[in-house]
Amino acid sequence: MFKPIDRRTALTNLALIIGGAALLPACDKPAGKASIALKKISIDADQEQFIADVAETIIPKTDTPGAKDLKVHLFVMKMVDDCFSPDDQKAFVDGLDKMAKQAKDKLGKPFGQATQQQREAFLTEIDNKKIQQKKDSQVKGKSGNATPQDDVLAFYSMVKGETIFGYTYSKYFMTKQIVYELVPGRYNPKLPVSQLKRVS
Amino acid sequence: MANLNTEAIKQHTFDAIVIGSGMSGGWAAKEFTEKGLNTLMLERGRDVKHLVDYPTTNMYPYEFAHRGQIPYDVQQANPVMNRCYIFHEDAEHFCVKDAQHPYVQEKPFDWIRGYQVGGKSLLWARQTQRWSDYDFEGPARDGFAVDWPIRYKDIAPWYSYVEKFAGIAGNRDGLDNLPDGEFLPGFPLNVVEQYFSNFVAKNYPGRHVISARCAHLSKPNQIHLDQGRAKCQNRVLCQRGCPFGGYFSANSSTIPWALKTGKLTLRPFSVVQEIIYDDAKNKATGVRIIDTNTKQVMEFYAKVIFVNAAAINTNLVLLNSKSKRFPNGLGNDSGVLGKYVAFHNYRARAWGEYDGEMEWTTDGRNPAGGGYLPRFRNVKKQETNFLRGYAAGFSAYRQMQTDENGVGESLKRNLMNPKLSGWKVGSHMMGETIPKETNTVSLDESKKDEWGVPQLKINISYDDNDEKMIKDYQEQMTEMFTKAGFKNVNVMDSKQAPGLDIHEMGGCRMGNDPKTSMLNKWHQMHAVNNVFVTDGASMTSTSTQNPSLTYMAFTARAVDYAVSEMKKGNI
Repeated sequence: MFKPIDRRTALTNLALIIGGAALLPACDKPAGKASIALKKISIDADQEQFIADVAETIIPKTDTPGAKDLKVHLFVMKMVDDCFSPDDQKAFVDGLDKMAKQAKDKLGKPFGQATQQQREAFLTEIDNKKIQQKKDSQVKGKSGNATPQDDVLAFYSMVKGETIFGYTYSKYFMTKQIVYELVPGRYNPKLPVSQLKRVS
Repeated sequence: MANLNTEAIKQHTFDAIVIGSGMSGGWAAKEFTEKGLNTLMLERGRDVKHLVDYPTTNMYPYEFAHRGQIPYDVQQANPVMNRCYIFHEDAEHFCVKDAQHPYVQEKPFDWIRGYQVGGKSLLWARQTQRWSDYDFEGPARDGFAVDWPIRYKDIAPWYSYVEKFAGIAGNRDGLDNLPDGEFLPGFPLNVVEQYFSNFVAKNYPGRHVISARCAHLSKPNQIHLDQGRAKCQNRVLCQRGCPFGGYFSANSSTIPWALKTGKLTLRPFSVVQEIIYDDAKNKATGVRIIDTNTKQVMEFYAKVIFVNAAAINTNLVLLNSKSKRFPNGLGNDSGVLGKYVAFHNYRARAWGEYDGEMEWTTDGRNPAGGGYLPRFRNVKKQETNFLRGYAAGFSAYRQMQTDENGVGESLKRNLMNPKLSGWKVGSHMMGETIPKETNTVSLDESKKDEWGVPQLKINISYDDNDEKMIKDYQEQMTEMFTKAGFKNVNVMDSKQAPGLDIHEMGGCRMGNDPKTSMLNKWHQMHAVNNVFVTDGASMTSTSTQNPSLTYMAFTARAVDYAVSEMKKGNI
């Protein structure tokens, strides 16, 4: 129902807008909120953008959708918020800020403003560390909790793991790429590999 | 006033009361109602109606908020349930939450429960292997527990009876230690499972790898269609409840069948506090329940009572049913109630890889899960340094694998083009444990649950026999796998606590002698002839087979006997 605004309300609204505007310069940047409700971790709009940029670098848009198109970064945030331990959550948030700073120092500009190539090069270095760490832990065996993960590596590992998970378990991927069959209706115990379709 | 009371008592009076609505309770209700008895079925949890109450059954993986994962806080709040393989986002609503249903672990015991209509029959692994006399004769031959008061010939016709109705897929393998049943077509082994089966048959006399027999409608008969069930569609999402009724559950089969007779009253939200015993009549007259919604305590009466609350809860109900005549629990003259509890030893696994048969793979999903090795240790005589033996699962599979290293377009391409792995093989052990007097469940009189029922104290552990059996399983599987040409063969011992096998049995065992057992050969209490126990609590020993099929057969047989005794005026 439309209600004409009276003068008093209009003035109040104006005062609120001006008041808000007056407060703005006091902040370094507007503390925008994350676009989804989070219960445990605190992520602001800039941090969300950073997660999105990292996810998009991991799975970029090509002639098919990338991580951002599929909102995979929001899935990453939700998973970290709901399914990770407080320790992991802390490492995620700490590592996020550290990695954003590292990227800025190295690339000479914020991560999001770098080219895909630059961003890939930056992440590949961390990815290689992750690969090496995995190799080391395999050598040491499961008991060897020896290598303490630095926060940047922890953050990266979480974002990458959940990005791949979110992407390969997205509706797009499960209906257009590797089709998931809810009802196979068959069991063939002996199929020639040459006849295998890309279904999961 | 007097009239009103009479009327109320009449409304609360039935011919038969069945405590529990799961695997065995469902069968009791079906059998009683088909025989024309007005039957009350009590279930402590909520109702789960076939098709209607399977909220996740048709959901795609991407429709789950966490793609199947259980949130961290929920995991932390449910340490016991969290160890169960069924505890994922798609079946979480069928899982009992630890805090709501506390119990005392004097030793670690993962008590996995299904508190709803249908119980764990909704969630079971659907394996259905018959026992043979090598199993029933175990305690007598090897000198543990007490002799089973029945033999294979007593139960064989009832296996057939329940198999025809439930629908069991399997092959006629002709093994004397795992008798054939009334089978629908079996699910075939894949090429590597078949290779291993042939290899074992040729190189290990007395050992066999068969297709696991399972409660799936591979090719339904009219009796299954009449239940409203249809052919199994190979979804292998059974724990969500099946929209096709493709596997057997109380929800899809026995309970709707019983309801159709018009003779069944199904009462969910009813926690049984105790069975009421009348000293003068020397009979149980009914049960006292608490309605979990209203917290009202109510009584129901019947001529005969079947206790099918699931092994451990059946013990609880009986232990808590105290009277002047039975101060230590109903029918417990022998003092064995709550003792000699046993389970299955599922601790060990073996796995490896195979680089043969690379031109073949599988397509679709196999509800049977692959192969089954019936017990081959100490079958005909004692051969090892441990008693009894183990069965084993065996399966072979190829996976779609992706190189997840790197970032960017190359990673994306890899994700879109997973590669078929080589063959992997795996096995898990299903060991018989020996019932011991010291493996007990008892009441904690100081701690009560929300409904005023004492909490259960569970004191159950592995023993040296189990440890030796694990070692033997690991050695034998390693040898068979290696000789068969499998590579990278590995074994492990999960050290999991008893209970996680979800095959807890005993505590109210059958036996010939009332001095050392609770139930006679008809599952009837020695001391109270109108109370029967036909679930896992009645097991004298455990053997190695997945026990549900045996409970079904026990139940149908016991109801048949109970009703004939009622007709003769003996009950």
